[in-house]
Amino acid sequence: PALPQGWSAEKDFKVLSALSSATQRNVEPVGPHFLAHARRLRHNRTFSEDDRI
Amino acid sequence: MSEETAAGERFAIGIAFGNSSSSIAFTNPDGKAEVIANEEGDRQIPTILSYVDKEEFHGTQAKAQLIRNSKNTVAYFRDYLGKDFKSIDPTPSHQSAHPQQSDSTVTFSIHDTSNETPSTVSVSEITTRHLRRLKQSASDFLGKTVNAAVITVPTNFADSQREALVAAAKDADIEVLQLIHEPAAALVAYDARPEADVKDKLVVVADLGGIRSDVAVVASRGGIYTILATVHDYELGGANLDQVVMDYFAKEFIKKHKVDPREDVRGLAKLKAECEATKKALSIGTNATLSIESLTNGIDYGSNINRTRYELLAAKVFAQFTSLIESAVKKAELDTLDIDEVILAGGTSHTPKIARLVEGIFPETTQVFAPSTLPSAINPSELAARGAAYQASLIQEFDAEDIEQSIHPMVTVTPHLSNAIGVQLVSADASAADAVFRPLVNANTALPARRVAQYLAPKDGGDVLVRITEGTREIKVTKPEPKAKKEVDEDEEDSDIDSDEDEEEEDIREIVWKATKTIAEVAVKGVKAGGKVEVTININSDLGAQITAREVGGKGGVRLAVESQPNGSA
Repeated sequence: PALPQGWSAEKDFKVLSALSSATQRNVEPVGPHFLAHARRLRHNRTFSEDDRI
Repeated sequence: MSEETAAGERFAIGIAFGNSSSSIAFTNPDGKAEVIANEEGDRQIPTILSYVDKEEFHGTQAKAQLIRNSKNTVAYFRDYLGKDFKSIDPTPSHQSAHPQQSDSTVTFSIHDTSNETPSTVSVSEITTRHLRRLKQSASDFLGKTVNAAVITVPTNFADSQREALVAAAKDADIEVLQLIHEPAAALVAYDARPEADVKDKLVVVADLGGIRSDVAVVASRGGIYTILATVHDYELGGANLDQVVMDYFAKEFIKKHKVDPREDVRGLAKLKAECEATKKALSIGTNATLSIESLTNGIDYGSNINRTRYELLAAKVFAQFTSLIESAVKKAELDTLDIDEVILAGGTSHTPKIARLVEGIFPETTQVFAPSTLPSAINPSELAARGAAYQASLIQEFDAEDIEQSIHPMVTVTPHLSNAIGVQLVSADASAADAVFRPLVNANTALPARRVAQYLAPKDGGDVLVRITEGTREIKVTKPEPKAKKEVDEDEEDSDIDSDEDEEEEDIREIVWKATKTIAEVAVKGVKAGGKVEVTININSDLGAQITAREVGGKGGVRLAVESQPNGSA
């Protein structure tokens, strides 16, 4: 991925659009990765906060 | 004998509770799930209870009673639990005690005491007795009283059925920590292996049972599972294959003796029991014998069948299994090319021909986990119990309230990405349309999610543009010859390199990624020759995203945030 000529933006990045809307689905409450997810959600932590603990 | 578990302490196992058979499993101190054999040495314990002179028989012993004592033998009752009498299909129970209506619940009339009159036993009570026996077998084996369990249920088990099962388990002094879905249990059983690598993949879990079959399409994203579609067939299972074998031998018998053993109740029961064993033998060997003493009219009968003939006779039933799997993929609005793995679970999955046919409907890159296609596959009969045991070991330390909160819909209902998000590799002179899209976060990933990937920078280094886009996958059909008629599945991830042009007259179907919407562009300046660019993307549950791009080994890098608002900043 090379930079095309004449491309410029403030601080070298630009945001063009937001993500498309998500769909609501049910995850299976099973397995270690889900339990980690549930723990994060219940304590309102982000990934990096969770890693530190 | 088993030592008493201390008060307040939990000792949990995994239970797979099926219509035809049940299994129990525990997790050993090394974290490996093991299936427990009961005192008869069975790991697949028939879900059957039988009463002879007030004595209770369970499992294989009870199954033997189907021939002589069918009226006092209860079988195939799992799906009756928690259901209205009118909504059940009593067909499987024709050869054992018949389900009866009593108020709104299902009961059986059996001689389980020494009294002359039969007693009416509800299906909940039968389930309790069955679970009590399973618990006893596990306690005897482990030397400690089991008082908790994770039980597997089908995905379409209604709330009333779940409640009835939990209540029946409670009566057997088993605390149900959690009810988990059978396909999820099978996935956990595979992902819990030390050699398994947890990655993003689409998995089809086909649970081919005794009297019903269930197929689920599951998106596995970073070890979190989301069921995309399920299909159920209540008339398809190993019993259909038993029927094929029975019909074959019955016809042979008629030719010789002019009597149909299927018209005699006891003859039919004997034939059924033996044919099931013959079918199982055909999954292991290429030849199997059948011998029944006094089949009907006092005639002994012996014969044999080879696997080729069996596969020929059962071809129709096999095709029903494969079309059930195909319909599940279709229901998930996917193509067989999208599927990365197929897990065959349930006893019928031992059949080698089914595994080979399933392999045939998926592209070569799809892995089919079955004993005959992959030597490292886990015994399909044990998957659910192992998954349940593993889950039990994970949560048995938790408080009941903690578990309740964790499996609450607040937690399980999560936004999932509708489109894949990836990185477009743009070369300096090419237009955006030619750029190759590489998915980084796949569609149907549960949010929040974080993914990191590295990309090779151009050979001579310099400034690099990373373009984050949304993408969709399309199936491209290439017709090498105009008169192409047959369709063949060919999976090639890299659309531009490989081509099987030499295969004439066949459509080549492949996955093509199309970038649909650019989210953001990032420039990483001054990358060394031959260097790599690392892109990290963090998507929150409100669809906001943080993207970081930096040169591998370099410092700093570029960070940016995408607002969650639709049509956000530009």
